[in-house]
Amino acid sequence: MTVIAAYSIKGGVGKTSTAVNLAYLAANSGYKTLIWDLDPQGASTFYFRIKPKVKGGSKKLIAGERDLDGLIKGSDFANLDVLPADFSFRNLDLVLDSRKKPKQRLEKLLKPVDKEYDLIVLDCPPNISLLSEAVFAASDILLSPIIPTTLSLRTLEQLKKFIKDNKLEHLKLAPFFSMTDRRKKMHRDIMQSLFDEHPDLLQSAVPYASDIERMGLERMPLGGFINKSRSTDAYQALWRELQDLME
Amino acid sequence: MPDNHDIALNFQLPENLKVKKFLARLDEQVSIHISSEQYSLKNYYDSFDWRLYQAGYLCEFLQSKTTSKLILLDIETEKPLLSADLDKMPSLLDEFENPAIKRMLSPVLEMRALNCLTSLPFQSYQINVLNKDQKTTVRILLEDYEALPARATIQPIKGYDKSCIRISELLTDTLELKRVKKNILQAALKLQGRKPLDYSSKLKIQLDPSMRADIASKYIYSCLLQNIKVNEAGTIADTDSEFLHDFRVAVRRTRSGLSQLKEILPIDKTASFSEYFAWLGQITSLTRDLDVYLLDFPTFESTLPENMKQAITPLHNFLKVRQVKAQKELAGKLKSPEYVLRLQEWEEYLKEPAAKKPLEANALLTIKQVADKRIWKVYQRVLKDGNAIDNDSPAEALHDLRKTCKKLRYLMEFFQSMYDETTINHAIKSLKKFQDILGTFQDCEVQEHALIQFGEDMRNEKTPTETFLAMGILVQHLQQRQQLARLDFSGRFDMFQSTENQAEYKKLFSEKN
Repeated sequence: MTVIAAYSIKGGVGKTSTAVNLAYLAANSGYKTLIWDLDPQGASTFYFRIKPKVKGGSKKLIAGERDLDGLIKGSDFANLDVLPADFSFRNLDLVLDSRKKPKQRLEKLLKPVDKEYDLIVLDCPPNISLLSEAVFAASDILLSPIIPTTLSLRTLEQLKKFIKDNKLEHLKLAPFFSMTDRRKKMHRDIMQSLFDEHPDLLQSAVPYASDIERMGLERMPLGGFINKSRSTDAYQALWRELQDLME
Repeated sequence: MPDNHDIALNFQLPENLKVKKFLARLDEQVSIHISSEQYSLKNYYDSFDWRLYQAGYLCEFLQSKTTSKLILLDIETEKPLLSADLDKMPSLLDEFENPAIKRMLSPVLEMRALNCLTSLPFQSYQINVLNKDQKTTVRILLEDYEALPARATIQPIKGYDKSCIRISELLTDTLELKRVKKNILQAALKLQGRKPLDYSSKLKIQLDPSMRADIASKYIYSCLLQNIKVNEAGTIADTDSEFLHDFRVAVRRTRSGLSQLKEILPIDKTASFSEYFAWLGQITSLTRDLDVYLLDFPTFESTLPENMKQAITPLHNFLKVRQVKAQKELAGKLKSPEYVLRLQEWEEYLKEPAAKKPLEANALLTIKQVADKRIWKVYQRVLKDGNAIDNDSPAEALHDLRKTCKKLRYLMEFFQSMYDETTINHAIKSLKKFQDILGTFQDCEVQEHALIQFGEDMRNEKTPTETFLAMGILVQHLQQRQQLARLDFSGRFDMFQSTENQAEYKKLFSEKN
């Protein structure tokens, strides 16, 4: 089982649509996949038309009182299950902090389902917090969308420093460009310079596109309502790169 | 996930409820979306002797415009154990490319071919039941069969147990569907007048102990004839090696019966049919021998050192060429009037009513009397001959003993139903164990000579020297194995003639004696 976290310190960079579409593509290529919506806003839960409710809330979930498997919902797509968000997840940090070894908590919770799934995608809320540290400990790949702006450069460097300082050697950082607009000169320039400076950047870039915005109306992953577009091609390419990383 | 045992998931539509009508009625009750509708074909596969079914597997091959896949289900739980895309259903295990299928089927299927038991054409509908967010909370698979009543299967979705229960109740109570077992195979087989496990190579002859010996023996031969006939087509077509094997076993049992059950049927009949079955044994033996060498080939390979395994490939080719030729010749003979007409005569003779006053001395005895007497006598002979064998006895002595043991085994199997089940099963088992060592000894002896002969024959075929070297190692290995079997013999025989075993045989077959 591989755990991929869709994570960024910044909000609004396309984390959720990445998590949702990648989970869909993975499931479609035969991976038994679970997407865990850790964001109290519950956007990925919404995309799958599932109620953002977890019995017992974050407290019982983190305490391990609720069997994780019993909280999982089947999506409308084969091989793809969802562990929905709950509004109480806004307190996940506090709840984690009250436990022993909080950073190991997520990894421990996932243990019972690791035989059932080939891939677990964590859709994380933005920020660096105790929850993100628990996510880092539980994940194999940290998939981080980056909008080509000067600010993004800083966040990527912050993230790299954090991983280095905390000696998270098991974690593969996989940054990639998100919401790119090739018409903007600034985007093109930044992308070019970042590719040069950070060879670990994935080659695929997901464009800013109206069909991705439409996911909110359709309430499903892209593949559920369009066959082929620039966006689906971009996610496909991203998924292929991730598969190589997983090997 | 709801427990399948508590909630009905599999239903049959009443005969008078057409699928369109059912869909309309369902639509009145819940919000549904038909996500696909397509013509499909469901094929069930198993080996001729039901190996998959016996192992608890149901093998489905599902074809439609969009799918072509093999699904292996657990018969009891009806859960899929394996599902794999497959363009065409192969016949033999080696022809499967998917390693997971191979891994799963190999220990069960071994050398047997898969054959299609039945093909069911149907229109399939995938129905999604939606909640107010238009989220699918349960699926219904509707299968409208051409020859059987339509079936509806609820496919629960994880985390939506309540919806599953609600739909199950709706189908049962409101729409009045009948709960059924998921697998439709039994119903489909019934259409052909068949049922699962309707063939086994094991003899299951039910005899009434008070039956007249001549009538009972004809009944036994009829059962054996049935086995000869059902294995005939597969033998001719060479579907797999075991058709011929079962065919030969039935022939051998018949021969053994004709020679062992003396003075029961008229002597002229016995003699002439014995000759016929001896001929059948003879014309089938070469193909079977070659089949056995080919089946044993992986064992041959495994005895060779790693760097020599490749060296015996020419031997495999040599055997294969001869097997194909021998099989063809055999198939020709099994289509000849000589074979067909005589077998028909045998069948007609078995159907003839028994003579009111038969001349044969034992014909009017009860079959139980004959069985007791015959088994006891052959058993005594096994003991006598076995005790006469020592370390200096020639291989023929062990071979003869093996043949006598086979006769004893066949008799016990013919008459099994007239004895206490546990006791006779135990007695057969102890005999079988003893037979194993004799079998190993004899097989090594035969194979050793055969390999030497093959070597002679292959000299003219530009065979590489290393092949002969490898074959030499095989011969040596067989000699060692035979030697070990020989050393094992007396211990195994002592086990067979242990006081407890003797008491068991006595109790079974000679209480009154």
